[in-house]
Amino acid sequence: MDGIFLQQLVNGLTLGSVYGLIAIGYTMVYGIIGMINFAHGEVYMISAYLAAISLALLAYFGIESFPLLMLGTLIFTIIVTAVYGWVIERVAYKPLRNSTRLAPLISAIGISLILQNYAQIAQGAKQQGVPTLLTGAWRVDIGTGFVQLTYTKVFILVAAFAGMALLTYIIKYTKLGRMCRATQQDRKMASILGINTDRVISYVFIIGAAMAALAGVLITMNYGTFDFYAGFIIGIKAFTAAVLGGIGSLPGAMLGGIILGISESLFSGLVNSDYKDVFSFSLLVLVLVFRPQGLLGRPLVSKV
Amino acid sequence: MSQTFYKKGFLALAVATALGVSAFAQADIKIGVAGPMTGANAAFGEQYMKGAQAAADAVNAAGGVNGEKIVLVKGDDACEPKQAVTVAKDLTNQKVAGVVGHFCSSSTIPASEIYDEAGIIAITPGSTNPAVTERGLSAMFRMCGRDDQQGIVAGDYIVDVLKGKKVVVLHDKDTYGQGLADATKAQLVKRGVTPVLYEGLTRGEKDFSTIVTKIRGAGADVVYFGGLHPEAGPLVRQLREQGLKDVTFMSDDGIVTDELVTTAGGPQFTKGVLMTFGADPRLLPDSKAVVEAFRKAGTEPEGYTLYAYASVQTLAAAFNGAKSNKGEEAAAWLKKNPVKTVMGEKTWDSKGDLKVSDYVVYEWDANGKYHQLEKQK
Amino acid sequence: MSSTTKKTIDLKKSLVDAILAGLIALIVFGPIVGVVLDGYGFNLETTRVAWIIAIVMAGRFALSTFLQTPKGLRILEGFESTGSGVHVLAPDYKSRLRWIIPLMIVLAVVFPFFSNSYLLGVVILGLIYVLLGLGLNIVVGLAGLLDLGYVAFYAIGAYGLALGYQYLGLGFWTVLPLAAITAGLAGCILGFPVLRLHGDYLAIVTLGFGEIIRLILNNWLSLTGGPNGMAAPLPTFFGLEFGKRAKDGGVPFHEFFGIAYNPDVKYYFIYAVLFLVVLAVLYIKHRLVKMPVGRAWEALREDEIACRSMGLNHVLVKLSAFTIGASTAGLAGVFFATYQGFVNPTSFTFFESALILAIVVLGGMGSTIGVVIAAFVLTVAPELLRGFAEYRVLLFGILMVLMMIWRPRGLIRISRTGVTPRKGVAP
Repeated sequence: MDGIFLQQLVNGLTLGSVYGLIAIGYTMVYGIIGMINFAHGEVYMISAYLAAISLALLAYFGIESFPLLMLGTLIFTIIVTAVYGWVIERVAYKPLRNSTRLAPLISAIGISLILQNYAQIAQGAKQQGVPTLLTGAWRVDIGTGFVQLTYTKVFILVAAFAGMALLTYIIKYTKLGRMCRATQQDRKMASILGINTDRVISYVFIIGAAMAALAGVLITMNYGTFDFYAGFIIGIKAFTAAVLGGIGSLPGAMLGGIILGISESLFSGLVNSDYKDVFSFSLLVLVLVFRPQGLLGRPLVSKV
Repeated sequence: MSQTFYKKGFLALAVATALGVSAFAQADIKIGVAGPMTGANAAFGEQYMKGAQAAADAVNAAGGVNGEKIVLVKGDDACEPKQAVTVAKDLTNQKVAGVVGHFCSSSTIPASEIYDEAGIIAITPGSTNPAVTERGLSAMFRMCGRDDQQGIVAGDYIVDVLKGKKVVVLHDKDTYGQGLADATKAQLVKRGVTPVLYEGLTRGEKDFSTIVTKIRGAGADVVYFGGLHPEAGPLVRQLREQGLKDVTFMSDDGIVTDELVTTAGGPQFTKGVLMTFGADPRLLPDSKAVVEAFRKAGTEPEGYTLYAYASVQTLAAAFNGAKSNKGEEAAAWLKKNPVKTVMGEKTWDSKGDLKVSDYVVYEWDANGKYHQLEKQK
Repeated sequence: MSSTTKKTIDLKKSLVDAILAGLIALIVFGPIVGVVLDGYGFNLETTRVAWIIAIVMAGRFALSTFLQTPKGLRILEGFESTGSGVHVLAPDYKSRLRWIIPLMIVLAVVFPFFSNSYLLGVVILGLIYVLLGLGLNIVVGLAGLLDLGYVAFYAIGAYGLALGYQYLGLGFWTVLPLAAITAGLAGCILGFPVLRLHGDYLAIVTLGFGEIIRLILNNWLSLTGGPNGMAAPLPTFFGLEFGKRAKDGGVPFHEFFGIAYNPDVKYYFIYAVLFLVVLAVLYIKHRLVKMPVGRAWEALREDEIACRSMGLNHVLVKLSAFTIGASTAGLAGVFFATYQGFVNPTSFTFFESALILAIVVLGGMGSTIGVVIAAFVLTVAPELLRGFAEYRVLLFGILMVLMMIWRPRGLIRISRTGVTPRKGVAP
């Protein structure tokens, strides 16, 4: 039985790190402009299509080695998805910068409808998939049971944490990161000090989209399948993870994702998978009632 | 303007109008095709449209219905009950004579009430939930089997052929998948095999590793899944990836599409997957010419395409047989007379269900194709 | 845009803009539109991409040139200084609404005589969304509490009718007030613990609550029938049923009056009742806004801290908004269930909440008449777009974004009639 329990932990950890990667996009945008970007799940969905397209193209040109395929797909997907992020910000959010807080929320919902149906019309209303690139698994025997670690899962964990580390470095130690943090703390003051805050906001959307693209490539590799509707469920879960960890906080997004993933997998493993989403939403409600700013979020201080 | 010219002009106009009206009256008998043309299940709506259009063309080429040509009216319900009701009213107002649809049982059920009240005959190519025909509607027909029939075939096969001892039954918490899983579970219990695990997973999710681990913990030898291919594909892949190579995976007619292989990550994962489906209409002698015509046009008539084709044929035959375009009369005729369709000769009982529905077991092979198994019992 | 004296149009700038836009369109649309996946392979569709890029470049060129004309410059400036806050009217201002409201009532009374059952169905749905919009407008528009799980109360109303009918034998008329009370209570119970949360945290908790309700309805098979849904009864006319055959041993409406059976009669009846309820809710809301509690909602939305320092009990004020909003959704749910005759959980997804929120925001936060218009725009638009088949929802999304950019503060801005100080009273 211990093997089963450990396997569930591993399942939860992989699922959680995927949630975390997408949650970063929500948390960054929220941190900087205080807006819930409901189209973010759809950006992930677009990146999954891009990953599959890139894999198909590379295979067509006869590239078969796994590292080359992976590298090419990552570069292509991240760049194109980042452009998507930038365009969405320009078209749907920038004109609404100075209006009410809810206006960009509605246009984000509009954008997510557009992206879903755009993908459906352009690519057809069917399930898409990518061939399995990395087969095989490590089998770790523990007592009576065993834990099956597929190479893809290990790859996801490593890549997710590498992406997270790179992002943390950028935010903490580079000029761009300082600009982001300054804009987050006080947009007006930052622009007085000579930071082009409009551009910083664009960067944030680009970075968020790039992280979603990383997640898109990893998830597509692991599960091998997606469709134009794929962004919705995972988007809601990732958003939940971002809030759970404290929206606006980068490590919080990752922590929230992992907690959500593990709690889901343990609950459905030990109790019943029918009610796993009920459980994770109840967990969220409970955490927020007792700790309204989320696990790692800064408490809201309202200025008078 | 001279008086004569005015008169002539008026006359010409009157003639034109009369001609136009008569041409209109002769040209059209409208048949609605309702299903998910957008949304997550749009692939099935596409199959409906393809099949229905081809059948309408064929019927029109052969002289039409009671001397009139069939015109199809598309209705998109996106598999949402709310939209299904609106679409049903829209079709009713456009005075369709019959409806081919819908797809999701949860859409067919509320929509059929509206057709019933308006006296429109409806035939669904794909809604297998028993409740569709169990509510005493007089003009609701089915071109496919029922979940309870399919569940009996699946349950018997698991017990008789697979000799399953520890059976896991999963479903996707949707009308179709859960209905089937319940029917299979009931048959299993009846045959003395109580499922060791009975659970639902969420449609749209792709990570089923926790359920797979649970299956592993239960030591299952057969997994039955009631649902559609978007979930079945990743489920069977994750089953194999977690090292459960010897567990037999069985599912239903919701996975009858080549996309199953795409979603599972390659034929190496779908090899050996079993499923129940009506005897493949593409293999029947009656469908040979139609299937070839489809292939010549560059499309493969998979899934529900031929079901929709046969539905249109059935409606046309019923109208012709009753010598009337009235739904009630056509329905009464259909309950008494057999119809020769692309799927063979079909007869309906008083509820509107097919009298014989032949579910058989199929297997997917190593090349990502499915074929009927020889050993059925 | 530095000086208005320069009136020449810089075509070179437009051209550069167009080429840049074309490049970006190539990157954005190239892969997804141009390379269509087919199994693990792909088909190339280059002509589609070329068309899209051409359209984007032409559009960008036209836009760029237009924005350099004086008219375009004015529009740009309009974007940059969107005013905010409530627009105050002169004290003796007589609203045009005096004419619009009777006109609308006349229209609504005349409408059924000129419609068919399809149009009637669309309008009934529109009215249901008006109710939902009005309810959410109290929560979001007036009290400023972002509620993303509003659909939960709608579901409580709809399932209230179906469950009450199946297990307790209750009819439409009994459930109608009961559902409003139950949904209101649910709002109160949810509201109590979460109201100390701020803004967007409240949003996500309500979203979670909405999902929890939907999942329970979907999973609790023995009670709700799960995804199979449940039947809901039709309303009765003083005990007379509208069905073709009376279900509970009564006399059907058409037999009692000796008229031919017409399936549309029940929809006319639902329409009439619904219309009266909408009018009543409109009136109640109109009065509430002018009462102290309405003023308190708006004050709380504008500045919570100031309100609390002035002694307003913020918990009570928020709870009242939540409860009243929720009970309106409960009413709407009962009408939805009876209109559709069938409820199942797919009607209560998060998207529905988002749609209702869009109605409120598009209508102009807090504006009643705006909500009514927006509700009809957002329910009728997808129906009008039916002719576009698979492009329908895409166009709906584009419409939503464009309307938001065009009117970020909603179709109708809130305005309030000013007050003149009475003579002899110190200002």
